[in-house]
Amino acid sequence: MQLRSPFHWIVLILSSLVLLFVIAPLAGLIIHTSPLELIETVNDREVQKSVWLTLSVAFLTSLVFAVGAVPLAWVLARYTFPGKRIVQGLIDLPIVLPHSAAGIALLGFISRDGMLGKAASVVGLNLVGNPAGIALAMAFVSLSFLINSARDGFAAVPRRLEQASLNLGASPVRMFLTVSLPLSWRSIASGFIMMFARGMSEFGAVVIIAYHPMTAPVLIFERFNQFGLAYARPAAVVFILVALAVFILLRLISVGRDKSLAPVKHNGNDDA
Amino acid sequence: MLELHNIRKSYPGFEIMDLSLRVEKGEYFVLLGRSGSGKSMLLEIIAGLRSCDSGSVILNGTDITKFKIQERKTGLVFQDFALFPHLTVYDNIAYPLRTKGMKKSDIDEKVKDMAWEMNITSLLERRPDTLSGGERQRVAVSRTLVTSPDIILLDEPMASIDTPLRDDLRRLLRDINRKGMTIMHVTHDFREAIRLAHRMGVMHNGHLVQTGSPDEIFSRPRNRFVARFAGVQNFFNIAVERKGDTIRGKMKNGIEIELPEGNYGDDALIMIPNSEISASGNFPAGSEIVAEGVVREVNRAENGYEAYIESGDIFYLNLSHESWAVTPLLRGERVWITFPGDAVRVLQ
Repeated sequence: MQLRSPFHWIVLILSSLVLLFVIAPLAGLIIHTSPLELIETVNDREVQKSVWLTLSVAFLTSLVFAVGAVPLAWVLARYTFPGKRIVQGLIDLPIVLPHSAAGIALLGFISRDGMLGKAASVVGLNLVGNPAGIALAMAFVSLSFLINSARDGFAAVPRRLEQASLNLGASPVRMFLTVSLPLSWRSIASGFIMMFARGMSEFGAVVIIAYHPMTAPVLIFERFNQFGLAYARPAAVVFILVALAVFILLRLISVGRDKSLAPVKHNGNDDA
Repeated sequence: MLELHNIRKSYPGFEIMDLSLRVEKGEYFVLLGRSGSGKSMLLEIIAGLRSCDSGSVILNGTDITKFKIQERKTGLVFQDFALFPHLTVYDNIAYPLRTKGMKKSDIDEKVKDMAWEMNITSLLERRPDTLSGGERQRVAVSRTLVTSPDIILLDEPMASIDTPLRDDLRRLLRDINRKGMTIMHVTHDFREAIRLAHRMGVMHNGHLVQTGSPDEIFSRPRNRFVARFAGVQNFFNIAVERKGDTIRGKMKNGIEIELPEGNYGDDALIMIPNSEISASGNFPAGSEIVAEGVVREVNRAENGYEAYIESGDIFYLNLSHESWAVTPLLRGERVWITFPGDAVRVLQ
């Protein structure tokens, strides 16, 4: 951008202020944490367990829920049906709900008196205070990111290509797996990453469903509540760094996948 | 053989009404019509991309009206080719074969044979976005041919091809047809229809107006729409007069033409093919029908010149470079126009 006019300067200053607002607290957090504190926290078994629990549950939740969410996104992109706007509104609802309220709503559903809770208790599973309950809380507040992104991806795939696939003899399932899915892969991956990131950072809904086992956001809150800022800060830094590393890694994987669509040498015998 | 019986399909503001059609096995049938006439929709109904409200689609004796798209054995080549952008040319052609669950070695053999036949072997490892329009069309046709369909449905196949490459594609389509493949080809270009069709149909507003050989349609168009589509520009309203047993029509410039037997009102619509009208600055002695006029406009055209001459009505003439060299027409010049009496055709 060439800074030719006062307008460009104003845009630059306002943009810098917004970026500073995002960077400053994170930078402050890292600057105020000594390397010694950081090493101690990294070696803390409790921190390790909570970070691993958060990452693994968030990742598996995104993976499991994608099985249903991706076909739903395809339906929303391809079909018009009565009540479609209501369905779309319901999908977006968790984004606007206060997350503590979402947690309360979910608790009523998965506690022993709730519909899902009763069903789970039949097989001896108590969802409250369980990683499965944490997964449900994470999914409830983050699923819309995956569905909306995947829906936009499917909508961008020309309908003609799906019709061509069927005309060439493919079944609807094969059409979906070989045309719709590969062509909207980037949007689905992006939605998956957003769902994963949103799920692992969730505090409000998770803390109501499961204080224990502690996810990283709950652990940070508990340390802050009981011992103050100085004790909570290293745990926060560790979690932020781990989350950042995972986030960058997933982004790189999805970009790598996208680049793989570039022309390739064909050996003549590969299957699609 | 493809038969359509009383196909109906209606949308708000548009409908295909009771359309019946028959395309013989091995025939090259061209469906001609303006955009929005319903011709592409008809292809989609045949291929199963759209359902019809009523009527039936019979292919080689089997009623496929209720068949799923993938069970119809109709090979549709889309106007925009619809090649899969994430697959190489090889994988695009292999796609339908993999769908059938063929062995990899058989797929490889079939794809390479087809590529050789279609002269696209060098393109097999490329992706569609690196190909020209003509190359994409060849890949799209190959991908369809490899499925061995009972009929190939071509939706405006020349639309995305540069003019110099159209001859190649026409040759290719003729070759495919010569090998026994039934082809139904949809276009808005009557020249394309003349060059390719064994038989053709003209569609207008969801109706099949006329079917027949290109010669029949272009020499005896059923109505003004078909005639206009066939490139005829000279239509004239004439006053009908009966004198005893003869019926005569009088044009605005006073020329009288004898009309064949028929039920006429007070006026009728006639057409004269552009190629039958000639013009000269000298009085053409011995000509059957002659009228005086003024050259209003002269423009360069594809194969020479076109001139508009006012003589009561406007007469459109096509002049070759050769005839222009002998008798050039100048704007504002007074000329004599002439045409043979049997060139005049009365339209419905």
